[in-house]
Amino acid sequence: MWLKDSQGKKAFRHGHVAFNQASQAAQVCGSFRPDVEEEWVADEERSCYNCRLRRWTAESFVCLSPA
Amino acid sequence: MNVLICIDDTDNLESRGTGELATIMAKEIERRSWGRCDFVTRHQLLIHPDVPYTSHNSSMCFAADLDLANLDAVIAYASDFLRDESAVGSDPGLCVSVIDQLADPEAIIAYGRLAKKEVLNKKMAYDLAAQLDVHLSEHGGTGQGVVGALAGIGLRLSGNDGRMKGWLRIETKNGLASVGDITAQAPLGGVRTMTGELLAATEIVEVDNKPKAVLLDGQIYLMVSPIDNGDGVHWRTTPRSQLKKF
Repeated sequence: MWLKDSQGKKAFRHGHVAFNQASQAAQVCGSFRPDVEEEWVADEERSCYNCRLRRWTAESFVCLSPA
Repeated sequence: MNVLICIDDTDNLESRGTGELATIMAKEIERRSWGRCDFVTRHQLLIHPDVPYTSHNSSMCFAADLDLANLDAVIAYASDFLRDESAVGSDPGLCVSVIDQLADPEAIIAYGRLAKKEVLNKKMAYDLAAQLDVHLSEHGGTGQGVVGALAGIGLRLSGNDGRMKGWLRIETKNGLASVGDITAQAPLGGVRTMTGELLAATEIVEVDNKPKAVLLDGQIYLMVSPIDNGDGVHWRTTPRSQLKKF
């Protein structure tokens, strides 16, 4: 599910539209924190795509969770 | 007179979102009887390693109908508000444009579209704002938010970019509503398919709990996608996941 990017950050390996994987990752994440509504892009609330701690990149996102 | 107000880069990972600040500003402008404000739209800007942003890169814009005599007061209030309420570490920017007096609307629209494709900078933003006599100001940090604030004005003005902040409140019967009922409950241009057709008032739509609307052709539309669930209902509100392109 995750890669280490060039800066050692946790990067989601499935891109911008892997809604199932993003939801699955959030289900097992203890750091999930919903972003403000206008920044949600997934239909399921609990998705990494809707998390305040995801930082979008051109290819995917990196997880800013300290965990 | 018609004015667009846009803010960008006001938040951090712990703070309120930029959209909430825009909503508060719009309500306060109305509370002070300076004018009437319209809905807030979110405009996606470029995601690129050379663009500084917290977790996403979007600006928030709303329209206001103001008396010219109140314009300076609105700008002063918005400036103070951003200075006081923006989050630590943010780089807030404010843009206010009197649309009726904009000599070259296409220039600001082009800038907005460019901000979705290329890395822009503060000098470019300030140069264009000065050229067009548009108010552009920074209120903390690096002030980098002026780039997105100006872009948000252009994108909102284009009439073909952005999603409405929040969702539509539509009463249904067992999750269904006719297009006529939907448009009677919300200030919409209509109910529109993802391929661009407008639905007739008699069409029935399966409505999600929190339907989002988008800005197209200068109006807010509720988007629908085809379904075939065997009960004669042919449309459902388009899921959020398919509205990302707006």
